[in-house]
Amino acid sequence: MDQKANFLKGLFKENPLFVALLGLCPSLAVTTSLENAIGMTMGVFFVLVLSNLIISLIMSNKFLSPLVKPVRIPVYIVVIATLVTIVEMVMNAFLIDLYLSLGVFIPLIVVNCIILGRAEAFASENKPIDSLIDGIGMAIGYGLAIMIISIFREFLGKGTITIWQSLQIDLVFIFDFLKIEPIAMFVQPVGAFLSFGLILAIITAIVNNVSQTNKKGA
Amino acid sequence: MNKGLVSGLVLLILGLICGLLLAVVNHFTAPKILEEENKIKFAALAEFYNLDNYDLSEVEGSGAIGVIYVLKEKGTDNILSLVYTVSATGYSDSQDVVMLIAVNNDLSVEGYKVVAHKESSGFGADIVENDFKVTMITDLSEFDSVSDVTVTSNAIYECFNQVGLRAAVDFGGGL
Repeated sequence: MDQKANFLKGLFKENPLFVALLGLCPSLAVTTSLENAIGMTMGVFFVLVLSNLIISLIMSNKFLSPLVKPVRIPVYIVVIATLVTIVEMVMNAFLIDLYLSLGVFIPLIVVNCIILGRAEAFASENKPIDSLIDGIGMAIGYGLAIMIISIFREFLGKGTITIWQSLQIDLVFIFDFLKIEPIAMFVQPVGAFLSFGLILAIITAIVNNVSQTNKKGA
Repeated sequence: MNKGLVSGLVLLILGLICGLLLAVVNHFTAPKILEEENKIKFAALAEFYNLDNYDLSEVEGSGAIGVIYVLKEKGTDNILSLVYTVSATGYSDSQDVVMLIAVNNDLSVEGYKVVAHKESSGFGADIVENDFKVTMITDLSEFDSVSDVTVTSNAIYECFNQVGLRAAVDFGGGL
């Protein structure tokens, strides 16, 4: 697989959220605003890219690999937990509002299936540079997915899109024009599942349509 | 040498390296975290009282009670108000619910604010803005908990309860 395909597979073909359906719990919980989604993406990007790189460096080392293999899962967890703790400390120190907003879901990145999954399925069996690119692609794919969900939910639930702190796009006028109120249910847990299901259905319909068109063309 | 033992040693060394790395990061972030927490606390104190009108000092509490901010009449030893930093375990294992509760010397509650928590997003976090209807610190009979958010409600009740247990003693000269 060339590097471009390696990078792009995380965005589309093997998107961790919309295709693999991994790490749904924190993803649905934090997508009440775009700001939360951006913060979560930064955290996951840092952890996923570095954990992939570190684990690949360890597992591709001829001396270390046979020693680590029997205890590889604890090794992955130690590496991932360390990176998540760094993210948590840095966010607590420099991005306190975001830290409070994301709450318990920052430490929960440790048990995010996407990160452990990429470590076991990819980083442990591939070269460091491939693993690094895989991590970047997967993290961006994850980030784009939760940003799409958060824009959908925040717009329908509050009529706004909060990009960062006070930088907010106010779209309440659309609801005023339609003479309805924003649908607060979309920023509640039930709205998370509904939004995810709707977006997934739309994406599946588009993918099916494209593949059918390609078949006819062939 | 036993292979399992060697693997265990590798894991131990990795753990030590990670621990060292975290210590370095903590060295840089801990002062900033403390500064941010103090900023929130002093902003909250200013919501209760105009701090220019008082002599402010701090006393270290015990158990669930952290720092107690003592607000005395200017130039005297007369304690007018105490602001308690108090914590109780809520939904999150890693971060207690930390509150500031301001109590006047007639034991009336001037105000309260949650200054740190890591309750779950949504209901758990929203509850911290709730009016719990506590006007006298020694009387929690009117405490208004929120249904379906029992764990966080209980933590906040416990905070009030802890302050209630010692406020009268503190104002009576026990501080």
